[in-house]
Amino acid sequence: MTDDNETDNPEKKSVGGELILPGAALLFTLYYFYTIWDVPRIAQVSALFVGTILIVLVILLGIRIAKQVKAGEADLGLGRIVEPKNFIPKRLALLGLTIAFIYFVDWLGFTLTVFAFLALAMLLLSEGKKKLLIVSLSAVVAIGGYFLFIVAFQTRFPAGPFEKLMAGLF
Amino acid sequence: MEFDPGLFVDLFIRNFEFWWIILPAIFLGLIVGAIPGFSAANTIIILLPMTLAMDPEIGLVFMVALYASSRMGAGIPAILVNIPGTAGAAATPLDGYPMTKQGRGQQALAISFVSSVLGGLLTTVVTLLAMPWLSQVAFYLHSVEMIVVMLFGISLIASIAARDTLKGLIAGFFGLMLGYIGADVVYETPRGTFGFLELYDKVPLIPALVGLFAVSEAFAVIEGESILSQRGKEAMQKASWAETMEGVRIALSKWWHIIWTSMIGLVIGVVPGAGAAIASFVAYQQSRTYSKTPELYGTGHVEGLVAPESANNGVTSGTLVPLLVIGIPGGATAAIMLVVLQYHGVTMGPDLFMDNPELAYGPFAAMAVTYFIMIFTIAPLARYMSRITVVSTTYMSPIIISFTLVGSFVPRQYMFDMYLALVFGVIGYVARKTGYHTAAILIGVILGPLLETYFLRALKISEGDIMVIFSSNLGNILWVGLALSLAVPYLIQLRRAKQAAA
Repeated sequence: MTDDNETDNPEKKSVGGELILPGAALLFTLYYFYTIWDVPRIAQVSALFVGTILIVLVILLGIRIAKQVKAGEADLGLGRIVEPKNFIPKRLALLGLTIAFIYFVDWLGFTLTVFAFLALAMLLLSEGKKKLLIVSLSAVVAIGGYFLFIVAFQTRFPAGPFEKLMAGLF
Repeated sequence: MEFDPGLFVDLFIRNFEFWWIILPAIFLGLIVGAIPGFSAANTIIILLPMTLAMDPEIGLVFMVALYASSRMGAGIPAILVNIPGTAGAAATPLDGYPMTKQGRGQQALAISFVSSVLGGLLTTVVTLLAMPWLSQVAFYLHSVEMIVVMLFGISLIASIAARDTLKGLIAGFFGLMLGYIGADVVYETPRGTFGFLELYDKVPLIPALVGLFAVSEAFAVIEGESILSQRGKEAMQKASWAETMEGVRIALSKWWHIIWTSMIGLVIGVVPGAGAAIASFVAYQQSRTYSKTPELYGTGHVEGLVAPESANNGVTSGTLVPLLVIGIPGGATAAIMLVVLQYHGVTMGPDLFMDNPELAYGPFAAMAVTYFIMIFTIAPLARYMSRITVVSTTYMSPIIISFTLVGSFVPRQYMFDMYLALVFGVIGYVARKTGYHTAAILIGVILGPLLETYFLRALKISEGDIMVIFSSNLGNILWVGLALSLAVPYLIQLRRAKQAAA
């Protein structure tokens, strides 16, 4: 569905993206080892055991990828992570909206922030089409979520002006 | 614990009293199961705030009912439009879709429903009856054996569920390292916390699973405006009661096939990480192997549809066995159930069966009741419910992102947890796109703290001697099993490559 394997050169696999997660794992493991440097040995053993295995696995993957690249079967392009390329701006914009959602939900509360996020994100993904439907749907989902989670189940969602205003009624 | 028929009867009656939560969960599960890329696991994550607010027993009944019905729902798009709702339904279209193309779509749906319900019901009852004995297994597992069992679980997920064993292992061990984040339980030294006080008490599991499953999936699916072709939409508009009844009759005539293929699903489901995808393909392959008409498979053959559907529902109860008996989740949904139960302070393992048998056996009774209720509710409504597959990702993705992120805030009330969920979302997105198994990362995060605790316990007993991990006979047998589980697939692959080259 989302795993299309297109690359610039159809004969070569782009495997550079496959190194991102192992790279992050390797860096994190080394950082973790640094943080346990001064603790007693008995408290180090478990992390050293698992971390060492992880490092060996990452090295094995690195060797495998290096062999593929050397044999001309693969290149170090990012491949599937950035494909299809025309979705990169949309995906980055959605990521930006998501960060803004987390930032503002603390002040605006659940209902208003969900409404704004849904409306903006849906407009972004639909490329500005069906504005009325999207605004209406966003309002229904946000208010529905408010009644289901906050009113009916008394869930402790972030409260903002809307929730404080409605608290007098429910 | 001894076999107690009275307890089981009480449990069934008690679970029938939860019909008011089972019924909506069934419909919801059927809908989300039918939406490709939107699994039961994701739905449970979205509804976490609700589930966490419920009584643990009711929350568990809700999750189990949703889980069981989503398995059935996943077959709908697989049969009608050749798009499996989940990986567990990946073998369903092999014969289900050709039936649709022959104009027997409604019949195929009815066959799928009957096979799913009967297969799921049978395996649930078998598991329930076997649990008093299965629950004793944990008494033989001490700290050394538990270390091997946990590593075994990670390696099985890597070698069976993930397409690439090496990448599956990296994902699992990366998860274990992430699970080690937090203050040391004995010396209280912060480790791997990047200076965040919010991580001193370990990585909170709910943000981790929200990010790895829901957020990453929502970012991945936006590439497609809609999942269906015009022909698929048209296929869903057609409906015929007579065809549905004929499908039910045909499926019931294949009762023996349903029994043995669902048992394949149960056995595979008990193995952590194996899951419905493996079970359905193994059942399909076995069905074809022992068939008198193997040449008909792939052309719209009824037995080719019955086998994977019975098997993937047989898996459902199987995955709960390692979760309840030794606290190791057998799959993604079981992992989420573990998170919810841990939130409520419920500890898995043999003590649960003695201290709280209603909660230990309850999921299986709830599952049996769910399948029973589905017989009368789902088949008549199936064709209408399949229309949900036309929902556009334009609307679906933002709803998933916003509700799951807020859900990750609920347990601890830290804004930090929402950012953490987003970080795990990025990790999950990269993992999905580059072929690393997100469930392996999550199970690693869950098992990390437990593995560390068992390591510390074993080392204290042995006064710091690392060789203690090879000191138990049962543990050594498990080590050999672990090594074989990793080596055998590699050796088979090597042999095939040599044969192909020769």
